Amino acid sequence: MMAKIELKNIGKKFKDEEVIKNLNLTIEDGSFTVLVGPSGCGKSTTLRMIAGLDKQTSGDILIGGRSVNHIAPGLRDVAMVFQNYALYPTMTVRENIEFGLKNRKVPKQERDTLIHDISEIVGLTSYLNKKPQMLSGGQRQRVALARAMVKQPKVFILDEPLSNLDAKLRNQMRTELIQLHRRLGTTFVYVTHDQVEAMSMGDVIVVMNQGVIQQAASPAKLYGDPENLFTAQFIGTPAMNILNFSEVQGLHIPAAERIGYLGFRPEHVLMKQDLHREGFTLDGEIVTRESLGAETIYQIKSKAGVFFVKTFLEPMEMNSQIKVTIPYEQLYYFAPDGQRIRGIEAREKSLSFVGGK
Amino acid sequence: MTLWEKLRPYGMVAPAILVFSVFFIYPIFYMIYLSMFDWNFISPTKNFVGLQNFVDLFKDPDFMQVLKNSLVYMLLTVSLTIGISLLFAVWLNRTGVFYGFVQGAIFSPHIISLVSISLLWSWLMDPEYGLLNWAIGLFGFEKLPWLSHPSTSLISLVIVAVWKGIGFNTLVFIAGLQSIPKDIYEAANLDQSRPWKTFARLTFPMLSPTVFFLVIINMISSFQVFETIAIMTQGGPVNSTNTLVYYIYDYGFRFFKIGYASAAGVVLLVIVGLLTLLYFKLLSNRIHYR
Amino acid sequence: MKEANRTIAEGRVWFQSAGKEAWMAKGANMAIRAVNLIGLLLLVLIFALPFAWMISTSLKTMPETMVFPPEWIPKNPVWQNFSEAWSSGPFLQYFVNSVVIAVCILALQMLTIIPAAYAFARYQFKGSGLLFGMVMITLMIPSQLIFLPVYLELSAWKLLNTHLGLILPFASSAFGIFLLRQAFKQVPEELIEAARLDNAKEWKVILNIMVPLVRPVLITFALFSFIAHWNDYFWPLVMTTDETARTLPLGIAKIREVEGVATWNILMAGNLILVLPILIVFFFAQRQIIRAFVYNGVK
Repeated sequence: MMAKIELKNIGKKFKDEEVIKNLNLTIEDGSFTVLVGPSGCGKSTTLRMIAGLDKQTSGDILIGGRSVNHIAPGLRDVAMVFQNYALYPTMTVRENIEFGLKNRKVPKQERDTLIHDISEIVGLTSYLNKKPQMLSGGQRQRVALARAMVKQPKVFILDEPLSNLDAKLRNQMRTELIQLHRRLGTTFVYVTHDQVEAMSMGDVIVVMNQGVIQQAASPAKLYGDPENLFTAQFIGTPAMNILNFSEVQGLHIPAAERIGYLGFRPEHVLMKQDLHREGFTLDGEIVTRESLGAETIYQIKSKAGVFFVKTFLEPMEMNSQIKVTIPYEQLYYFAPDGQRIRGIEAREKSLSFVGGK
Repeated sequence: MTLWEKLRPYGMVAPAILVFSVFFIYPIFYMIYLSMFDWNFISPTKNFVGLQNFVDLFKDPDFMQVLKNSLVYMLLTVSLTIGISLLFAVWLNRTGVFYGFVQGAIFSPHIISLVSISLLWSWLMDPEYGLLNWAIGLFGFEKLPWLSHPSTSLISLVIVAVWKGIGFNTLVFIAGLQSIPKDIYEAANLDQSRPWKTFARLTFPMLSPTVFFLVIINMISSFQVFETIAIMTQGGPVNSTNTLVYYIYDYGFRFFKIGYASAAGVVLLVIVGLLTLLYFKLLSNRIHYR
Repeated sequence: MKEANRTIAEGRVWFQSAGKEAWMAKGANMAIRAVNLIGLLLLVLIFALPFAWMISTSLKTMPETMVFPPEWIPKNPVWQNFSEAWSSGPFLQYFVNSVVIAVCILALQMLTIIPAAYAFARYQFKGSGLLFGMVMITLMIPSQLIFLPVYLELSAWKLLNTHLGLILPFASSAFGIFLLRQAFKQVPEELIEAARLDNAKEWKVILNIMVPLVRPVLITFALFSFIAHWNDYFWPLVMTTDETARTLPLGIAKIREVEGVATWNILMAGNLILVLPILIVFFFAQRQIIRAFVYNGVK
C-alpha cells in the first residue's frame, strides 16, 4: 500500500488573496513530514487540501500515484486529527470511534474487534462509554487519535494536535506520537507552528512562509545548512544572529558586495578570549544575562548590532565589556534577497596580511 | 460541485419558504389588491373601486374612533408596561430562590391563553360582585363600572394588557441588566457614585437599546389586540373599545365587506410596517452602539 | 439559601466596619428589608390573587358568587361545576382537536425548520440573502394582519373548518428558523469536517451530529410553539365555524353563550381546565419556558 503524496503546481486563492503559490512537494511513503511556519504561512491550507477539506485552485494532488482531485475527503484513505480534537460531543468515546466505520458499512463484529484493539493501544478501554466532556485533555487527544487510527488510513494528517495540551503532557504525547508512527509505518503529515516540536518529531521538515516552501529537508540539514535567511532564523532558539553586512568590520571577504547579511548561531560564539582559535571577533557590551540552568543566554550590544550568545555549562560571565569570537566555519552569508551564499572563506584583514608575510 | 450539491440548499429551504410565501407574503399583496375592490365574498364579481374604500374609511367617524382608540390604547399600554417593568426589573434583578419565584409569578400570565385572562378579568371587573370593586372598596372608593361604561372601558383593557405584559417585559429588562458587565458597577462604586446616579448615568444608557426594542415590540403587539376585546367588550360599549383588528374582523366576517375590511387591513399593515422598519433601523444602530 | 448566607455574611462585614453607627444603621437596614419583603409579597399577590379567585369561584354555587363582599373559601366545594363546564359542549372533541393541532404544527415545524436553518447557517448559495430576508419579513408579520386574505385562500381550497386549515399556515416557523440558525452557526466547523472525513453523508451530519448538539434550543422552541398554539384563540375563531374543528379556548369562551352570562362559577371551572395544564408545565419547566419567551423578545 503505497502512500506517497505528491503536490504538483498547487495554487490556492481565497477570494482574491493568493495563499499558496505554485507549491511542489513530494511526501515520501512512511515518512513523518512536518509542515512548519508562522501563522498564515499556508501550512494548514496545504494540509486541508491533502485531506480534501479545501479544494486547490490549481494543480494536482496525488496519493499513492492516484489523483485525488475529485475524490471526497471521506474516500481519500486519509485520517485527520484536529487541533481542537473535533470529537462529537453528543456521542460516547465508542460511538466517536465507531462513527466512521459505520459510515463505511464495516460489519458489527469487525467493528468491535477494531475498537477493542485500538482502545487497548491508546489506553482508552475503561473510558469507552464516557462522553468526551468527561475526559481530560490528554484523554481527548487519545480519542481523536483512536478515531483516526481505527480507519487504518494510508495517511495520517495532524493539524497542531498538541497545541491545546500543557507543556508536560505535550512532551509525553510527542514521544507517543513518534512511537506510534514507528509502529504503524504509515505516512504522517503534521502541522505545527512550533519549530522545537517540528525538529523533535519530523524526519522531513518543510518550512513554509507566505505560501511558499522555504526549504524541505531533515532537521540536521535545516539547522546546519539553511537555504535562506528565513529558515536560518526560524530554526533554533534563540534564533540565528543576523548582522547587516555593511555594518560589519574586520572581515575580509572576496566579492563582498554580493553579501547582504552575516549570520551565526548564538551557541557557536566563543566567549573565552584565551582560546587560540581563528575567527571573527566582535567587541561588545553585555546588556542582559539570562540563566536557564545549564545554559546562559547573553544579549550583547556591539557596533555591528545586537546579538545573542548561548553558553553551555560555563560560569556566568560577569564583565560587562567583552570580546567574543566566532570560528570562520560557523559563519553564514546571505545575499540581500535572503538567499544563502555558500563557499565563501573569510579571513581577518590584519591576520591575512600577517599570514601573507 | 455536483448538480445535487448545488440544488441541495434550495431543496432544504423550499418547504419553509413555500409555507411563508403562501400564508404570509402572498396574502399581503392579495390584501392590498382586495382593498381596491367592492366585494361581499358571496357574489361572483368583484367591482374595482380604486381608492374609494380608503376614502370611505377615513370619512367613517366609527373608523376614526377606532384609530383613536387604537392609538390611546397603544400609548397607555406601552408607557405603563415599559415604565413599571423597568422599575420591577431593577428591583427584582437578584438571584436566589425567592426572587426566582417572584419572577416566575409575575411572568405566569404571559403563557396563559388570552381567553382565560379575558374571562378571568371580566369576572374580576364585574361591576356588582367583582373582586376589583371589593378591593377598591377597602380603600374607600366607590364601585367602578369598569368594562360596562365608555369612560372606563378602554382603560380597563389597558390594565389587563399591562398585567399580562409586565412579567415578560420585566424579564427581558433583567436579561438586559445582566448583560451589563459587573466591573462597570465596581468602578462606579470606587468612584463613590450614588445609586440613583449610577442608574441615570450608567444603567439606563446601557439599557437604552433594550428599552427601544421593547417599546417597539409592545407597540406592534398592542396594535394587534383582539382577544380581550372580542371576549370582554365586543368593541363596546358605544364603540369605545373597538380597535383595528376587531374592526377588520367585524367588517370582514359580520358584514362581509371584504374590500372595505382589506382597506382597513392595509392601514394596519402600514402602521406595523413603519414600526418594523424602525425596529430594523434600531437593530442596525445597536450593532454600532455595542 | 446560599444567597441568604452571602447577604448575611456581607451584612456582618459591613456591620463590623461601620463601627459605632452600626446600631442605627442596623435598624434602618432591617426596616428597608422589611419594606422590600412586604413589597415583594404584594407583588406576588397582584399576580396570584386573580388565580386564587378563579379557583375559589370555580368551587362556588351560583348564589355564592353573588355575595358582596366576596367570600374566599366556599363552604361546600361544588365539584360538579367542572363536569357541567365539560358537558356544556363537545369538550372531548375540543380537547382532541387542540392536542392534534398543536402536535401536528410542532411536528411539521421541526421537519421544515431544521433543514432550512441548516442550509441558512452552513451553505453559501445564490439568493440565500433574499430568501433569508423573506424569513425575517415573515417573522415580523402577525397573523392578525393577514387573516382575511388567508381566510379567502383557505376557503377557495375548501380548507375552512378542517384541521389542515389550522395547521398548514403554521407548518413552518420563521422564529424557529432564526433561533436554530444561530445555534447551528455556533457549532465549530471542525466537527463537520471530522464527520466528512468519517465519510458521513450530509443528512447523517445533520441528524447524528448537528441535531443532538442543538437539542436544548429545539426543546426551547418546542415549548414556545406548543404553548402558543395551545393557547391560540384568534386563528381557530376566524377559520372555523364548525364544532368538529374547534379547539379548547373556543369551547371555554363559548360556555358563556351556553350557560348564560352570569354563571361565573361554571366559567371559571372551564377556565381552570384550560389553564391548569399550562401552569403545571410551567411549574416544571419554568426556566426553559421563560428563556424561550424572553429570547423571542430579545432576538
